[in-house]
Amino acid sequence: MLSERRPWREAWFPNGEWMLLVVLAVEIAVFSAIGKNFFTWANLSEVIRLSVELGLLAVALSPVILTGGIDLSVGSMMGLAAVVFGAAWRDGHFSIPAAAATALVLGAAGGSLNALLITRFGIPPIIVTLGTYSLFRGIAEGITRGAVNYSGFPAPFLRLGQGYWWGVAPVQLPLFLLVVAGYALLQHRSTLGRKLYAIGFSAAGARYAGIRVERPVALVYVLSGLVSSLAAIIYVAHLGQAKSDAGTGYELAAITAVVLGGTSVFGGRGTIWGTLAGLFSISVLQDGLRLAALPSELTGVLTGAVLVLTIALGRARRAPRRARQPAPSDATIEEAPEMRNTQLAVLCAAVLAGSLIVAGTNIWLVHSLRPADAVTGAALMPAGPPASHRPVIAMMPKAKGDPYFVSCREGAEEAARETGADLIWDGPTGLDPARQNEVVEGWITRRVDAIAVSVENSAGISTVLRKARERGIRVLTWDADAAPDARDYFVNQATPQGIGFTLTDEAARLMGGQGEFAIITGALSAANQNAWLGFIKERLAQYPRMKLVTIRPSDDDRDKGFAETQTVLKVYPQVKLIMGIATSSVPAAAEAVRQSGRKDVFVMGLSLPNLNKPYVHQGVVQAVVLWNTKDLGYLTVYAAALLVRGQIPPGATGFEAGRLGAIEIRGDQILLGKPVIFNKENIDRFNF
Amino acid sequence: MRRGREVALALAILAVAAVMALGAPGFFRFENQRDLVMANMPVAIVALGMTLVILTGQIDISVGSQFAVLSVAAGVLAKSGLPTPAAAVATCLAGALAGALNGALVAYARIPSIVVTLATMVALRDGLRWVTQGAWVQDLPPGFQWFGQSQASSEALTFGAVVLLVAAFAWGLGNLAAGRAFYAAGSNPEAARLAGIDPARVVFAAFTITGALTGLAAFANAVRFSQIPSNAGLGLELQVIAAVIVGGVAVTGGQGSVAGVLEGVILLGMIGPALIFLNISAYWERAIQGAIILAAVALDHGKATRALRRADAAALENHAQRA
Repeated sequence: MLSERRPWREAWFPNGEWMLLVVLAVEIAVFSAIGKNFFTWANLSEVIRLSVELGLLAVALSPVILTGGIDLSVGSMMGLAAVVFGAAWRDGHFSIPAAAATALVLGAAGGSLNALLITRFGIPPIIVTLGTYSLFRGIAEGITRGAVNYSGFPAPFLRLGQGYWWGVAPVQLPLFLLVVAGYALLQHRSTLGRKLYAIGFSAAGARYAGIRVERPVALVYVLSGLVSSLAAIIYVAHLGQAKSDAGTGYELAAITAVVLGGTSVFGGRGTIWGTLAGLFSISVLQDGLRLAALPSELTGVLTGAVLVLTIALGRARRAPRRARQPAPSDATIEEAPEMRNTQLAVLCAAVLAGSLIVAGTNIWLVHSLRPADAVTGAALMPAGPPASHRPVIAMMPKAKGDPYFVSCREGAEEAARETGADLIWDGPTGLDPARQNEVVEGWITRRVDAIAVSVENSAGISTVLRKARERGIRVLTWDADAAPDARDYFVNQATPQGIGFTLTDEAARLMGGQGEFAIITGALSAANQNAWLGFIKERLAQYPRMKLVTIRPSDDDRDKGFAETQTVLKVYPQVKLIMGIATSSVPAAAEAVRQSGRKDVFVMGLSLPNLNKPYVHQGVVQAVVLWNTKDLGYLTVYAAALLVRGQIPPGATGFEAGRLGAIEIRGDQILLGKPVIFNKENIDRFNF
Repeated sequence: MRRGREVALALAILAVAAVMALGAPGFFRFENQRDLVMANMPVAIVALGMTLVILTGQIDISVGSQFAVLSVAAGVLAKSGLPTPAAAVATCLAGALAGALNGALVAYARIPSIVVTLATMVALRDGLRWVTQGAWVQDLPPGFQWFGQSQASSEALTFGAVVLLVAAFAWGLGNLAAGRAFYAAGSNPEAARLAGIDPARVVFAAFTITGALTGLAAFANAVRFSQIPSNAGLGLELQVIAAVIVGGVAVTGGQGSVAGVLEGVILLGMIGPALIFLNISAYWERAIQGAIILAAVALDHGKATRALRRADAAALENHAQRA
């Protein structure tokens, strides 16, 4: 085996990384054809910029996985490091370099904790880092109480995440290249690197070969903590804010990049170059889908398919080489020495069956769930010729898949049809606050005519919205506002103050102005919910005999909200009212109250009428506070279309918005009207 | 057989219980215990399957996404006019199918399980979001919630079924040839093969059973409510995996017991509500959970280290033979 001259392909790409280059080439070819402005320098530099934080984590995870370990705590460490960095700078009055140094030391300390538990205590890495995954994020949430958002960093620091060298290369690129070079040297050009391979291949073998297994292993975990906090600092500079939810879900994305890049999860095999190829095949896919205005949910489906196929083909490719050896007798499931044709057949059959199942259930579900909605797809991608005179309006919800935003979208599509505009509807599919910026960057590259954003994090997104305005794109915010100079108009359905006050007043009316109540919120770090909570507490000063006993999170999970409400009812039996301030937490609380049999507890809050209709009619839910979400979507798109066509001159005090009639503009705010209180009397008149 | 983890966990559970008895005796009221059991039932059911998967040295991180898809499927099936028991069976079969897909890719196409289930995790979750666009399944038929029974009898039925299931798994894993096969395939696949066990088939079975159990959990959870959200099971995979490995199942396979897993489910399931009873702020909850996981595992680290050394020695011997 060793005496054979290795073919160039194996020498250069020992793990079949060339397949990823093929995938990457296919992606680039396809998206150059169907994506707008995909094949441009500007887009290339955006893809690189958006990959840096994730890339740092992926590069740091490569040697960890190479030793047969795993580090699930890197995303949480980003959250903790970001918060500590922000706190040291703002509250501790550290200089930026000193704050950064603090965060880096903390990262190394966190990594050392992992390393200690893994190498000294002998606990498997997956268990240790699963524990620190909760621990690090939990400390970050604890010290900021989920809500503190450090922002207002000085411009030179923000340049680290947002600026360019000579107008082309992102500022963070050299830093990233430096880390990549360091890791490449460590893994591929040092004796330490060879030790890592030996340990990954067989820890016991390495030990008997005289390698002190603990030291190199400990080192890679310490480094992984250190690099995570470096990623956090760049992330803060990139977004302009430091909050406890930084890096949510990054651990899985980074592991995906590493594994896709050919590093074996059993250790002993993998390269840094492969990780980079894996990283860019995912980020190019995301970017391309955005520029082609395809739904971002496709990213997950396609990433899954690419992952299974490349790994499977990688195994198939290695097969013939090994098949020449006599079949080893110690075949295990994990390290299959060869792949027979039958296995290839099973694989193909399984992939085919999987796609058939997905396609079949999709068609079936679409038919059974939304028979009336069959037109939405058509409205999204007009069948006619690609009309350049039609304004392209890109609209972003805070999160895709939230029923609240689904009903906004219905109104938005209606307005797009009436005004002859093309609507792109896309947004984050998870809780990652950086994702909104990425989507807007994509739209700027695509050069849409107008952008309308429901803002998740005001400090974070305003920089990128300003950039959009500089490029001549009309920018609206809707549902939640950004900094006033970052947009032309805010379509104001209700201010956080209006919402907080209305909720409190309605609760006070139901409770007769006295007694205890509890709040079930969505996520503890959700910016809008924290803003409402602030105004609810402010308004409570008017009702001295009302007491807010507890605030519990539901993580936007109905079942968790249900269980939390059940416990709250038992711990605080004298609670007279439960207020839900996230779409799913009102029906969750209602179900819990109904099942408890308590007739003396009111349920109310901010939610969608349709989800609460049964409970309102049963008398469990007394009031749902909301505005007309369909009208909100409608008005936003209508205003955007008029704005693009120059039909709303500066200084206008109003305009006609189709079926909504005359709409008032006050300053830079387009007013939809006041929040509506839905109850038994009027709820059946609304369908959203 | 090593019993260190079971003892350590029992001590940890007793410690939490003692704190609760002193600080908030209301914790032990029947209604609270019943609600806790019902809330943790999905975790317990899926954990049984995950035990098999981890015993064979594999992992399945797609169960949360499977749970979401199967919950929606349960609702859609019930709405299509299928009687509730038939819908339950169909949901389990759909789950078995999803699990079999994972199992086939792992056992026969021989792709690492973390890769396969990472892929199905993102694909199923994003696929569901794409299809439903976040819409909930509403207007379920009247015979759906609580199987058309009273709440109490339906809960008793579910609880009884879970107890039977746990007992069957505990007994079967210890005493049946099929049960021992999971240990055999996990601790030494080659030895298992020589003993007449097909390790690939065992792995395939573990994933398929996990899928079916996830279907069962999704259905049993869905009938507790009158509508079904399309984002159910967020983070379920981490809860389940944490319970199983805290419960003492070795991530390297071949070692662990149902009793330990059950203790893991109980310990992790009681921490959150216990903190509410003790009036501890929600903001610190995650940090405390992480610390307790680490503490519970570190409690018997000495034994774990020795086991690791033994495993290393065995691996070396194996390696020497290979050379």
